[in-house]
This record gives sequence, C-alpha cells and structure tokens, in this order.
Amino acid sequence: MIEGFAKLLVQYCLDVQKGDLVRVGSSPAASPLVKEVYREALKAGGHPYLRLGLPGIAEIFFGTAGKHQLSHVNPIDIHEIERVDKIINIRAAVNKKALTNVDPKRQQTANRAMRDYREIYMRRSASKELEWCSTLFPTNASAQDAEMSLNEYEDFVFRACMLHRKDPVAAWRGVHRKQAKACRRLGECSTLRIVREETDITMKVAGRKWINSDGRRNMPSGEVFTGPIEDSVEGTIAFSFPAVWGGREVHGVRLTFKRGKVVKASAQKGEDFLHAVLDTDQGARFLGEVAVGTNYNIQRFTKNILFDEKIGGTVHVAVGASYPESGGKNTSGIHWDMITDMREGGKIYGDGKVIYKDGQFVIE
Amino acid sequence: MRDERYAKLADVLVNYSVEVQKGDLVEIGGAPLAEPLITEVYRAALKAGGHPFMRLHIPAAIEIFYREAKQHQLKFVSPIAEFENENVDKVVSIWADENTKALTSVDPKRQAVRSSATQRLFLRFMEREAEGELKWVGTQFPCNASAQDAEMSLDEYEDFVLEACLVHLKDPIAAWKKVHNKQEKICKVLNKRKKIRVVTEGTDLTFLCQGRKWINCDGKANMPDGEIFTGPIEDSVEGTIAFSFPACYMGREVHGVRLTFKKGKVVKAHADKGKDFLLAMLDSDEGARRVGEFAIGTNYSVQRFTKNTLFDEKIGGTIHMAVGASIPESLGKNQSGVHWDMVTDMRDGGVIYADGKVIYRDGKFVLK
Repeated sequence: MIEGFAKLLVQYCLDVQKGDLVRVGSSPAASPLVKEVYREALKAGGHPYLRLGLPGIAEIFFGTAGKHQLSHVNPIDIHEIERVDKIINIRAAVNKKALTNVDPKRQQTANRAMRDYREIYMRRSASKELEWCSTLFPTNASAQDAEMSLNEYEDFVFRACMLHRKDPVAAWRGVHRKQAKACRRLGECSTLRIVREETDITMKVAGRKWINSDGRRNMPSGEVFTGPIEDSVEGTIAFSFPAVWGGREVHGVRLTFKRGKVVKASAQKGEDFLHAVLDTDQGARFLGEVAVGTNYNIQRFTKNILFDEKIGGTVHVAVGASYPESGGKNTSGIHWDMITDMREGGKIYGDGKVIYKDGQFVIE
Repeated sequence: MRDERYAKLADVLVNYSVEVQKGDLVEIGGAPLAEPLITEVYRAALKAGGHPFMRLHIPAAIEIFYREAKQHQLKFVSPIAEFENENVDKVVSIWADENTKALTSVDPKRQAVRSSATQRLFLRFMEREAEGELKWVGTQFPCNASAQDAEMSLDEYEDFVLEACLVHLKDPIAAWKKVHNKQEKICKVLNKRKKIRVVTEGTDLTFLCQGRKWINCDGKANMPDGEIFTGPIEDSVEGTIAFSFPACYMGREVHGVRLTFKKGKVVKAHADKGKDFLLAMLDSDEGARRVGEFAIGTNYSVQRFTKNTLFDEKIGGTIHMAVGASIPESLGKNQSGVHWDMVTDMRDGGVIYADGKVIYRDGKFVLK
C-alpha cells in the first residue's frame, strides 16, 4: 500500500520530471512513506531532499521565542521557495493538541511574518512553476481525533485516496473529468446563494475561475472551488463541523458578512481564538475561497481539514488568502477553511436556479 | 521525558562551542533518533536569541540515494544547499545512527563520485569557517548502534559520551576553557618547530610544518574535543605509518592500514581488510593521496577505541593523520572531497621528535 501511495504522489500528484528539485516535507513518524516517496522521486529523475520537523519543536518556538524571533523569516526558506520545483507535504502528527495552550497572538505574529513566503509560494504555484501536494500519513494521533483505531483509520485514509482501487491514477483521472463538468456549470453563474438551516449567504463569482481539485495538490482531494468577489459576500453562514486552525478547535462558528467583511462572528466554544485569528490582518475577515466537496469515499468528519473539506455533500468557505489561480484577490497571513454539511436539505442556487441539492450537483 | 544532561550538553554546544548570538541563523543537523538532544539545542539556541532550524535526514533515504541515484543525481549539487552553505551562521551537527554499517555494501566508487561533487560545498564551508563567518560543531548523540560498535550497553555508552564531553562536571564550560589554556601552551611551542618525526611500532614518518599553524581544538568544533593539529607541508611527508585502530569512514571499517609516503604522496597503501574501499577513496581525486592533517589527541577522559573518529582521534595518547582536505585555518593547502582520519596509539613506546628533540613520549607531552 505504501509503495502504491508513493507512486501516486510522485507520478500523479507531483508529476516529477528529470532534474526537478523535490522537497519532501514531513516528520519522522511518516518515515515509511517518506522513504518510498524519496525513492520514487529519485527513480523519476528528480533531486529529492528531506525537510523533517520534530514534534515539540513548534511548541518550544511559540513558548520561548522573543519578538524578533517570532517575526523572523529565514532567508534560506525564502531562497528555497523561489527555486524548488515540487513540494510534497506529508503530515504525520503525534499529538494534534500540542499547540492548544500557545498564545494565539504569538501564533498570529509568526503567521504575519510568513506572508511574503506564502505569497511567493502562491504566485509560483499559480504560474505552475511550482507544483505542490499535501497528504497525510495515518498515525495514532489522527486516528484518535477521528475516533478510530489506527487500523480503521489507515483504511479510511487509503480509501479516501482511492488506493484500494486497482489503478488509483486512473480513478483520479475519472474524478478530474467528472468535476470538470461541475466547474463548467458553476462557471456560467454570476451569483451563488447557499441555503440551509441557519445559513443564507450570497456572493458574486462572475469572472472568477472554478478550480478542479483532482488530487494533484491534495491527496485525497475531490472538491471544486473559486475565490468569490471580495466585497460581494452578504448574509450568514453557520458551520456544522468544528473549525480547526493551528491545532485548535472552535465549535459552532457563525459568521455574518456585509460587503464581503465578517461583521459578526460567534462560536459556542473558542470564540476568543476565533476573534484573534480574524484580527490577524486586513484580509482575515474576507473570504478567500468558496468550495464544494465531492469525495463520496469520505463520509465522516474526522477533525482534519484535508479530509473534512472533501466530504462528498459539503460546502466550505475559507477566511483569509485566496488562491490566485481562482482569480481571487484577497491577501492574508491566514487561510482557514470551515465546513457546512449540505446533505440534509442544503441547496445551492446559481443565478436563482437550483444547481445543487442535498449534497449532490443537479446538472445535466 | 527531559534528560537534564542533554540540556547541559546543549548549553555547552550553543553557548560555548558555536556561541550563538542574537540574530544568528542556526542549523541543527541530525537524525530523528537524536530528538532529545536536538530539542534541547533548539531550545538553547532560541534562548540565546538565534533563529534555529533543523535539517534532519532519515538514514534509509541516504542508502536509497547511494544505491539508486543515477550519475546526474550523484553529481547534482542543490542550489538551495549552496545558498544555505553561504548564509548559515552556526551549524550544530548531531550524529545519531540507527545502524553504523548501513552503507557497508554501497559501491565506494559511487560514494567517491558524490564526494567529489560536493567538494565545492565542503571547501566553501571550511573557508567560511576559517574566515570566522561561520561556526560549526559536530557531536555524537549516544544511541544503540554506536554503543554496539563501542561494545558497551547504551547506559554505559551514554556515560562514556557525556564524560568525554565533560558534562558530568559541575561547570562543563569552565572545564573546556581550562582545556583551551593547557593546549594553547603546547601549540605555542610547536608553532616554533619546523620538522616533526613520529616513531612507534611499524611507524617512522617525518614531515615539515614550518609556516603552518598548530590549532587548539578545545571543544569549539567538536564535542567532545581535545586535540591539537596542523596541516603538514604537502610534499614533505616521507616514510611509513601503521594505524593501530581500524580506519572508519562513511560507515566502513578498514583494518590494518599502512601508508607509505614519498614527496607527500601515498605511494603504497596496505590494509588487512577493506583494501578496495581504501584504494577507491585514495583515488577519488588528486588530493586524496596527500595528508591534510596531522594531530595529537589529548582527551584523557577518552581511553577506549570505540570505532568512532569523533572520540577515537581525541584519545589521550594517540596521534592521527587525515588523508584528503586540509583544514584551511592550519594553513594547509591540500584540496580533496575526502577527509579521512586514521589513528595510531602512542601510549606504548611512541615518541614524537620536534627538530630532533623528544617532545612527546608514551602518550604524553614532555615539554617544560
């Protein structure tokens, strides 16, 4: 399974070519997969190198760093992000709550400092100079969050990535074709309205591009998204699932928008943190993304955005930075996805017509 | 669980060895196995005002590289690594193997191709170090693989490593300063000498060192430390040297090495075991057959050979020589992608002459 996983990542997601500089970012907990990805990237003629973190380091950083350190950007990182051709991020948490007690203002300072870095990253990936992919190696910490055993969770992850299929690469190409149709239909709409219990929100998307997320940048994937016109968002959205950011959970989030900006934000748990993150910078109160999840191999919420935002039958929006390739123009140090379940009575209207109902597109 | 001894060792590495200053870019290199020490070094570097970052590898990936990389990959030098090499201020390398023999069966020619490709980086690194732009320290994290090589339990080996680093003392930094003062006196004397002759069983070797500098290794670049060294005048080395301990390099052991020099160059190389690897390394480039370093180990807390150069070359009462690159600060001029230290025991009858006078006998200096 691990070898098939590595092949999918290197050959399909990153499409590593001879001479590519390939960054393999992960932590030691993912060694079995890291090693195979390294091997596959080498076989493909690339120049792979590892960037491994250690659990506990981020906590020490946020706990110990002085101001000049929190806001420091390493010039080596900037140089790297200007030059690297392919990046694979393999998440492998050993404790998903290690940063729960870190002062959110300190996280905010560090986040703000990384803005230039993130902008280069996004610019280069929008122009396809840089291809990246994020995935997850199943660990007990993530299994625990998902309320599964490690065995069950491995199965969940591998199925979500369609590694149980005979030819995972072909399966992902099928996803691409199906989503291309949804993107075409959505691209014809200038206004979207999303309605469900406690939610009625509208936004303009005319001139923006719908992106087919077909597993190349996220493994698993299965979503279509765009960047709404920044000052056009109006109304209220309630999120059905806890919103997770920087290892913290905020429950029962509700956001109200006026002229694109969050003017009211409430939460049942973690409201202070929510406010702190929304105050990170100018762009943190505007939407950078609206998206529809289409991976019906994922049915359960597992407190992990990589999977949750793909749940077939959900919609998510992100406050903060847009993806430039969608035509979105919002800039921010954050990008926080929050998810709403549409499977029971949710509807999306495109220019007044129902195009999505009860978790499924209703397009010819 | 935090082990306070590693916090103490980290304090020595960060605040004595590389002296992290506010604003320094501090690279911490190592393998995940060394996590307890890496974590403490990271914390100490942050406390000192630096900007620490990690460069961890997994041993399995290195093996895959040597076995599977094509020529263009073996010869590739990453522009990112080059930039880093040019910009980093402090480097703490923490060695921690899961298996010190994992690379034993890798084709030495492929390793040699890699060495010569990265030589440029290595030279620039040493140049920056010599110019004081960069400080580097290498240390060993006690792990089972190294304990096994040393023929000790992990517990015993931890004690061995930490005592060699003087971390068992109340104030290790003060202790290293004392080592510095003692060795400084010896270096001062040797800096005035022109010709060195080393004699012990199977060994009679001479070289000139006039105009070269004897360097005091006082825990700044290696932890543990305890040696003084110079770069002999490249074409002056004459005679034969037999190494008492196996010569270890890149995960391999070569036993019973004996090298004969003429006009500074190895003209005869013998080994009881591992001769192919020895010859492949000596033939990897022009400079690999010449001496880049001659040194005397002075750490009497290290008494045993443990198949680890970091410790072995410091054994109080030994000398060692490296074929390959000189360390520029000694004013040695030899260039190579190789730097391979080999150690000879002097404790039983070894004598060193400087300009014809005995200065060292039976493993100890006999200077006034």
